[in-house]
Amino acid sequence: MFLKFLIALVLWSAIGSSNASVRSEYEVKAAFLYNFTRFITWSEPVADAEDLKICVFGRDPFGDVLQQLDGRMSQGKALTLAYPQTLIDAENCQVLFVGSAKSRDLPSITRYAEERRMLTISEIPEFVDEGGIIGYVKEGNVIRFEINLQAAQRAGLQINSRLLELALRVIR
Amino acid sequence: MSNRWRWQYWPLKAKLVFLTLSISTLGILLVCTSLIVVENRTYEEQLESELMVLSGILAEQSAAALLFEDSQQLATIISSLRKIETIEQVCVYNTAGDVMAELNSATSATCPNLATPPEVGFVGDYYRLLEPVTLDGDTVGQLYLMSRLEVLREHIRTFILMAFTIGLTIQVALVWVAFRLQRLVSEPISELSSAAEQIAVNHDYSIRVPVYGKDELGRLGNAFNEMIGTIEHQNRKILASRDELERTVADRTSELSLANRELEAFSFSVSHDLRQPLRAIEGFGQALEEDCRGQLNDTGLDYLSRIRAATVRMGGLIDGLLVLSRVSRQAMEIQKHDLSAILEEIVEELHATSDDRPTEVTIQPGIEVVGDGRMLRIAFQNLLANAWKYSSKADIRKIDVSACESHGSITVAIRDNGVGFDMKYVDKLFVAFNRLHTPAEFSGTGLGLATVDRVVRRHFGEVYAESSVDNGACFYVKFPASVQK
Repeated sequence: MFLKFLIALVLWSAIGSSNASVRSEYEVKAAFLYNFTRFITWSEPVADAEDLKICVFGRDPFGDVLQQLDGRMSQGKALTLAYPQTLIDAENCQVLFVGSAKSRDLPSITRYAEERRMLTISEIPEFVDEGGIIGYVKEGNVIRFEINLQAAQRAGLQINSRLLELALRVIR
Repeated sequence: MSNRWRWQYWPLKAKLVFLTLSISTLGILLVCTSLIVVENRTYEEQLESELMVLSGILAEQSAAALLFEDSQQLATIISSLRKIETIEQVCVYNTAGDVMAELNSATSATCPNLATPPEVGFVGDYYRLLEPVTLDGDTVGQLYLMSRLEVLREHIRTFILMAFTIGLTIQVALVWVAFRLQRLVSEPISELSSAAEQIAVNHDYSIRVPVYGKDELGRLGNAFNEMIGTIEHQNRKILASRDELERTVADRTSELSLANRELEAFSFSVSHDLRQPLRAIEGFGQALEEDCRGQLNDTGLDYLSRIRAATVRMGGLIDGLLVLSRVSRQAMEIQKHDLSAILEEIVEELHATSDDRPTEVTIQPGIEVVGDGRMLRIAFQNLLANAWKYSSKADIRKIDVSACESHGSITVAIRDNGVGFDMKYVDKLFVAFNRLHTPAEFSGTGLGLATVDRVVRRHFGEVYAESSVDNGACFYVKFPASVQK
């Protein structure tokens, strides 16, 4: 039994290394996160900041993957990562990723984020119906996303229509 | 190949039209070709820029979908190109080179593998384009577009057809214009040429050509007319002076012939009249010798015999003069004679009237000469008698007559083995009364060779001699070809 598992593990790793294009769910989600920032325009005064600060609130599901985004450029700004423990600490974030653990506090978090003109992203189911702006959804094996345009407008964010076209559902 | 079709035989008209049309055809072809090339280039550029714009729009539209790996959205985006019929194939690749979405027409194959980049631009019947899809300067994928060129080809075909139709129409118009315009140049020249030919054939110097304009052709026409005018004027002068000259010649000839006739009549009558007193002298001399022989001493008899000998010589002289004057004025009856036969007769006469010295005469048989029979006989009688006479001191008299013909003329040579003469006196030989020997050596009047010369001259021939002292003489009589026909 243990031997079989070992063989399967070896085979799997062989396949994984030979086919680099097969990416894990969180690699895709991290890439999406980076791509979202490229299609969103922040309004004053957040737009004036030199960096684009991505804050992961709550438990970090990405692991090492998100570290690849650190320092990458998006719309001429460098991305920085932050892991605030409280909402107060998330004061200066432009992008707020809400971890699954925070689903109970969603209304307060989204309200806080809207006031601070943040882009809220989460993989919590029905996140956009709860007032979040972009929510990941899984359709079979494919990662897609939903957009709450009303929430985005309240937060003073302009979302590129190309991005809207790609969304699985847009709440207008 | 017929001469008609060779360039040098072409009429000027045809040459002018041909040249004009060659140049215009060349020009039209060049213009048409360059128009077609330019049109093709312009159309290609237009097509290229249209497709560039199209692919730019597509790239811009598909950037987000590429980033989010949304094949469905990509397929929707590129499916809008289905409406453009000439689009053969559209492929969208992600950064790894995998096909994310494709649009194929019924005939085309699958999307090309980007590992070996496809040829882009105008290749064969297709225009291919590979454009990177960028977002904020990052390449997020590639867009491959392949378009059929049938519209371009059709357009260029139509354009070529149009260009050549127009070119042909222009050429037809140019043929008409060239036919009209070539007259401006060729007509004066052909008129000039036909006038020149007419003058050359008919010698009609009153012909003038019409003069068109003041250009080179006009000047040529003027110069031609002036030239013909000058020729006409000079011709008239030449004709007038020729007529005058002919009149003068006729006058002189008649004067000359009158003088000649008078002179001949004079010499004839002188010779004839001289005979009578000579006969009297001779007759009474003979009578004196016969009747009064006894009354004269030897001295008287000697004188008398000298007188008689002198009268005989004078008689010979007068006969010679008469013969000379006769051969000078006698009318000639020209016909063909057998000279060999005449010569044989003369030799027989000479045999009969002279000494019995051994003689060898060879006469080439069959010599035929055209001329007056009596005159020829006189001339050759003199020549043979001379040969006979001057070879009388040789042991055996040898006379040889031969003839040689060349180019129609006949030269008769009379050769003897007599005493000959010194060549420095050859000029005096044929002059009357000039003798190279004294009467004591050889008797003679000094008129024989002058008579020969006169006869031969009247036959338009010439007589000449070759000799050296004591080595015989050879006389040549040459009758020219003009008489010997």
